[in-house]
Amino acid sequence: MKIAFTLNGNPVEVEAPANITLLHLLREHLGLTGSKPGCEVGECGACSIILDGRVVNSCQLLVPQVDGREVITIEGIGDAGGGPSDLQLAFLEFGAVQCGYCTPGMVVAAEAFLARQPNPTREEIRVAISGNLCRCTGYQQIVDAIEATATRRQSQAEGRRP
Amino acid sequence: MSEFRYIRAHSLDEAVALLSEPGVYSRVLAGGTDLVNQFRKGEAGCDRVVDVAHVPEMGGISGGQLIRVGAAVTHAEIAESALLQERAPILVRACRQIGSPQIRNIATIGGNVVNAAACADTLPVLVCLEAQAVVVGPGGVERVPVTDLVTGVYMTQLTRGSLIQAFEFEAPPAGSRMSFQRIGRRQAMAIARLSVAALGAVDDENRVSLLRVVPGASFARFRRATSVEDLLVGRAPTAQRIADAGREMTRLFLDESGGRWSAPYKERTIATLTERALHEVLSP
Repeated sequence: MKIAFTLNGNPVEVEAPANITLLHLLREHLGLTGSKPGCEVGECGACSIILDGRVVNSCQLLVPQVDGREVITIEGIGDAGGGPSDLQLAFLEFGAVQCGYCTPGMVVAAEAFLARQPNPTREEIRVAISGNLCRCTGYQQIVDAIEATATRRQSQAEGRRP
Repeated sequence: MSEFRYIRAHSLDEAVALLSEPGVYSRVLAGGTDLVNQFRKGEAGCDRVVDVAHVPEMGGISGGQLIRVGAAVTHAEIAESALLQERAPILVRACRQIGSPQIRNIATIGGNVVNAAACADTLPVLVCLEAQAVVVGPGGVERVPVTDLVTGVYMTQLTRGSLIQAFEFEAPPAGSRMSFQRIGRRQAMAIARLSVAALGAVDDENRVSLLRVVPGASFARFRRATSVEDLLVGRAPTAQRIADAGREMTRLFLDESGGRWSAPYKERTIATLTERALHEVLSP
């Protein structure tokens, strides 16, 4: 069936069967391999994407479910010049990446969260990434990176105010 | 994954017509967080999925004395609802603990009920609120108490062509308090091993004037533990009576579940959750 949606800001139209997941479409047909297959039953969050502003697991989403909707993947997150975003740089700065497999999902979940809650507590950050499993770093550095990014964005926003 | 077609319903009438079309085995797709997993594991198959996530009559949270929650409302929408935070905080608390943000953002209350897992977090709460499901099918609309709708583990009395449009319940009376106690192996992404939902009130003479206690992941069906309630209703909620009520819950639990491997752990835990819930709703 024909499915049209917005992917990282650009309209796309695909001819796809109803019984494949968005994760499969992204990786195997559209060449976007940043979203990772992990558990593939909705428990690990490695395949996280943003659907109409909310983080969801793309391994549990049938492709036709996104028809007419807006999808943002890790490939759609970055600075204006195509480099890493401030959040991604903070992940490097705080040592929040070890094997890296959970990182795209962590960044996607954190960006969706910060868009809704720009001034979070540490506990809120922990809840926001509670659907993303990391088996390497133990989460502290990931929470640190998200917290620092929120603080820096807040102070930048305040600096811009007249 | 098994093969099927997909169609998106744009109205309740269209959804019912699609689901009752002769010769086509259709299944309702709402969030898909249970169904897509079942498709992939080959545990479920159908000719066609009917996506009801965008059916307008199945969305929205509204109400005054009678509160209505659309069946296609997500757990995240329930958790964020100012109306439910004020009027039905146990439903908010239960939905905040389901799965993960990723699950809560797309999984629906209707899906949680219809999937009818023993560990479903909204079920003990809806039964505690004495909620009714608004069931719509080819024969029209009927209201079914949630306690009757779910007939067993993964079983409901919904018939072919029908689906749940919404849930309705009376706002709990002013002065009543609610509690939802839940235990899992860890806090996030862990199903409830046991839970207890409770709603209660104490009158001016410190006697229990209202009490509903519903355990989750405990009985074959979701129902009030009336023998637990009877130990307290009309009496002062003393620590001794609350402890007795916890023991009565253990007795009911063992009666229904038998002596399975987890019983030595669960018989203590269900008593503790019951006592915590009762203290929260009845203690001064």
